Amino acid sequence: MKSENQARIGDVFSYLFMALMMLFFAWPLIWLLSLALRGRKEIYLGVARLIPHEPTLDNFTAILSSSQFAAYLVNALKLSTLSALGCLAVALPAAYAFSRFPLKGKGAWMMGLLSFQMISPLVIMIPLYRYMASIHMTESHFGVTMVYIALAVPTATWILKGFIDGIPESLDEAAMIDGCNRFSVFWRIILPLSTPGIASAFIITVIAGWSQFLVPFLLITKDNLMPIGVGIFQYAGTQNDSSLQVLAAACIVSVVPAIVAFLSLQRLILGAMTAGAVKG
Amino acid sequence: MNKAITPGLTAVRAVSAQPRQGAPALWLMPLIAVLGLFYLYPVFDVFRYAFTDMTLLGKGDHYTVSTLINTLTRPELFEILWVTFVFTGASVLGQQVLGLAVALVVVRGEKRRLVGTMLLRTTALVAWVVPGVAGGIVWKMLFNGAPFGGLNSILRLLGMAPMQWLSDPDTVMWSVVVANIWRGTAFSMVVMYAALKAIDPVLYEAASVDGANPLQRFFYVTLPQLRAAIMVNLILITIQTLNTFDAVISLTGGGPGRATEVLSLYTFNMVFRNYDLAAGSVLSLLMLAISMGLALIYARFLPMESRS
Repeated sequence: MKSENQARIGDVFSYLFMALMMLFFAWPLIWLLSLALRGRKEIYLGVARLIPHEPTLDNFTAILSSSQFAAYLVNALKLSTLSALGCLAVALPAAYAFSRFPLKGKGAWMMGLLSFQMISPLVIMIPLYRYMASIHMTESHFGVTMVYIALAVPTATWILKGFIDGIPESLDEAAMIDGCNRFSVFWRIILPLSTPGIASAFIITVIAGWSQFLVPFLLITKDNLMPIGVGIFQYAGTQNDSSLQVLAAACIVSVVPAIVAFLSLQRLILGAMTAGAVKG
Repeated sequence: MNKAITPGLTAVRAVSAQPRQGAPALWLMPLIAVLGLFYLYPVFDVFRYAFTDMTLLGKGDHYTVSTLINTLTRPELFEILWVTFVFTGASVLGQQVLGLAVALVVVRGEKRRLVGTMLLRTTALVAWVVPGVAGGIVWKMLFNGAPFGGLNSILRLLGMAPMQWLSDPDTVMWSVVVANIWRGTAFSMVVMYAALKAIDPVLYEAASVDGANPLQRFFYVTLPQLRAAIMVNLILITIQTLNTFDAVISLTGGGPGRATEVLSLYTFNMVFRNYDLAAGSVLSLLMLAISMGLALIYARFLPMESRS
C-alpha cells in the first residue's frame, strides 16, 4: 500500500515535470505558428492573440508563391538528396569492407573515422574556399554537394557498418560457395538486406544537408542558387517587426520538410544513432 | 572474430577459405579519397597557412611565426575564450542534466503507462531537427524586446516589466544558452534513454531487496551504470557546442558588442570579414586543439572496460 502511494506521488511529479518540459520544447514552435497565422495588425497584440481572431493563410501564400522561395526550396532539396545519394555510394562499400574484410587495427580505423567529427566544418572550409575559388567551383551545386558528402560520410559509414555487422556472415559464405564473388555478395545479398540501415543513413544525411548553413553560405552568393538555410538567413536580415508574420511563415516552410522527413522514420533513425553512441 | 562458424561449415571453409580474405583497398578507396581531399589535405593546409601572412585578398605568402604570436596575443582573445567557455559550459551542463531528467521521466512514464510520454519525446526531437539558422530566427522572435515579443508579452500578462533579452549585454548570454539547450537537449535525451534501457533490471531488484530508496537507487545504481554513456555524450555535445555557429550568427550575430561572439564566430569573422586568412587559420587550429584536449580529458574518465 505504502509503495503504491509513493508511486502515485511520483506520477504527479512526473506529470508536472513533463508538462513543464512540453511547454519549454513546444512553446517556440507554437509561437512561430501563431505568428505565421496572424495578419499584420494582430502581430502587435502579443500572447493575447495566441489564437488569432482573424487567422489567415496569406503569409504562407506569399512565401510559397514567390519564385525566390520556390528556388530556395528546390535548391535545398536537390543539394540534400544528391549529397545523400553520393554519400551512400562512398559509405556503403567502405562499411561493407569494415564489416567483412580482415583489417589490422579495425577498431582504430573506426575511432579515427569518428574523430573526423571533431574537426569543425569551419576549419576545412577555410582552405576549401580558396581551392574552390581558384578552380571556379564556387557558385556551383556540384562543389557544394561534394563538401556535403565529405561532411556526412563518417557518420554514414558508422551507421551502415553497424547494420551490416548485424547480417549473419554465413549468408556471405553460402553465397560464395555458390560461386558469387565479393561484389555480387555485396550487390545481391548485403544491399537488399540492409535496406533499413540504408534508409536511416539516407534520411539522416538528407536532414543534415537540409540544415547546412556554413558551406553554402560561403560557396554560394547568387540568390537563385541558394538553398533554404542560407536563403532564410538573408531574408531574415531584410525584415523588420512589421513583417514578422511573413518571416514566421517562411521559417515554418523551411523547417517542416526536415521535421516530416525525421518523423517518417523516427524509430529507425534513433536506433541507428544510438547504436554508435552507446557502444562507445 | 569468427562469429558464424558451425562445425559442418568449417570443412568447407578450409577449402574455399574465401570470406576471410580479400583486399579491402578497392572498397575503401572512395572513402579515403573523399576524406583525404576534403579533410586531411585541408587540415594540413590550415597548419601551413597558420605560419604565413596570407590574406584572402592578396598573395602575401611569406612564412613567418609572427601571425601565430600576434593572433594568440590579441587583446580581445581572452574575452572571446571566456564567452566560448561560458556558452559551451552552460549549454553542455544544461543539455546533459535536462537530457538525463527527460530520459528518466520518459522511462518511468513508459513503465507506469503515463499519458503523453511519447508526445514529450517527439516534441523534444522535433526541436532538435529544426535547422540551426531557423532555430536562431525562431528564438529571435521569442526574445523580441518589444512588448509584443513571445516572452515579453507573457511577462506583461503577469504584470512584469519587459526584458531586453538580446540587447542587454548581461542577459544575452543566458538567452543564447537557453536557445541552444532547447535545440540540443533531445540528443542527450536519446543517448541517456538508450543507456537507461540497457541497465540490467536485476540490479534494481537487488537494490530494492537491500531496502534502497529511489534516491539511493539513482545514486548507487543508475548513475554509476550510466557513467560511460554520460562521458561519451559529454564528448559529443561539447564538440557540437564548440562548433556551433549557425544558431549564434542568426540569433545575435555575436552581439551586442562581443557579448556572444564565440570562438567559431570570431574565427569566421577573422577569415571572411577581415580577410585575414593566416590569423583565421591560427584560430581554427586553436578550436581543433581545444576539441581534442577536451575529448582526451573526458576519455580519461571512461570506465576501463569501455576504453579500447
